[in-house]
Amino acid sequence: MKESLLDIICCPIDKHDLELEVDEKDGDEIISGTLTCPECGETYPIEDGIPNLLPPDMRDEVTA
Amino acid sequence: MGVLENKARARLFYKYLSKVYDTINPFIWNDEMRDEALELLDIQPDDQVLDVGCGTGFATQGLLQYTENVHGLDQSIHQMQKAFKKFGKNDQVRFYRGDAERLPFKDNSFDVIWSSGSIEYWPSPVDALVEFRRVVKPGHNVLVVGPDYPRTTAMQKVADSIMLFYDAEEADRMFEEAGFVDIEHHIQQAYPGSPKAITTIARAPDE
Repeated sequence: MKESLLDIICCPIDKHDLELEVDEKDGDEIISGTLTCPECGETYPIEDGIPNLLPPDMRDEVTA
Repeated sequence: MGVLENKARARLFYKYLSKVYDTINPFIWNDEMRDEALELLDIQPDDQVLDVGCGTGFATQGLLQYTENVHGLDQSIHQMQKAFKKFGKNDQVRFYRGDAERLPFKDNSFDVIWSSGSIEYWPSPVDALVEFRRVVKPGHNVLVVGPDYPRTTAMQKVADSIMLFYDAEEADRMFEEAGFVDIEHHIQQAYPGSPKAITTIARAPDE
């Protein structure tokens, strides 16, 4: 995902802005990292370039 | 209670269904019907469009004919992997994993919201529609395509046991409850006798 998407994405639970921590980048594409909601403390992973913004109760597919 | 009301089950179901998904659907939905539905919307080249339940990217393809700013959201990565093959992962479309009933987008983020072949799997359709109204800009349109409720008793039993089907009256109730105005429905059918799709366009009220 591109950093500019932070303008539209938010925490799916409380709709608060998210903070980005980048682990791996390829040009302006963020390949892996973590999105954190400073309001509720929930974290959302960026996996293989795709932000996983599923609420935690739907993120249980370990082998998916 | 329908078997797909449990979201975890729905995801498992999709994991296997995604292998054949482009050919299986509770209603018949083809290019022609998709393009007809797209014409009902007035999508401008600079519009930001969200495709909820984008799945394998069938509608996404159509939306890209109108604007380059298409965002695809789905709960299942398996479904989206097919879409990645069509459009690239980070190229033509911005993809997200997320829940239709708890959208990870800020208020008033999109000019148009499209969702086809997804509503029948949502446990609480009105909750998802309330979210649509929140993230679409005031005065702008959403379009939802779902399976029209069958007219014969045998098919109704099948429908009730599998997933959500609804008629125009029920669609009115859901969209009104979610706060939409100017709600209109179009029943679309591939050929006589095939399962019908119900396409609803509704507008978020002006501020």
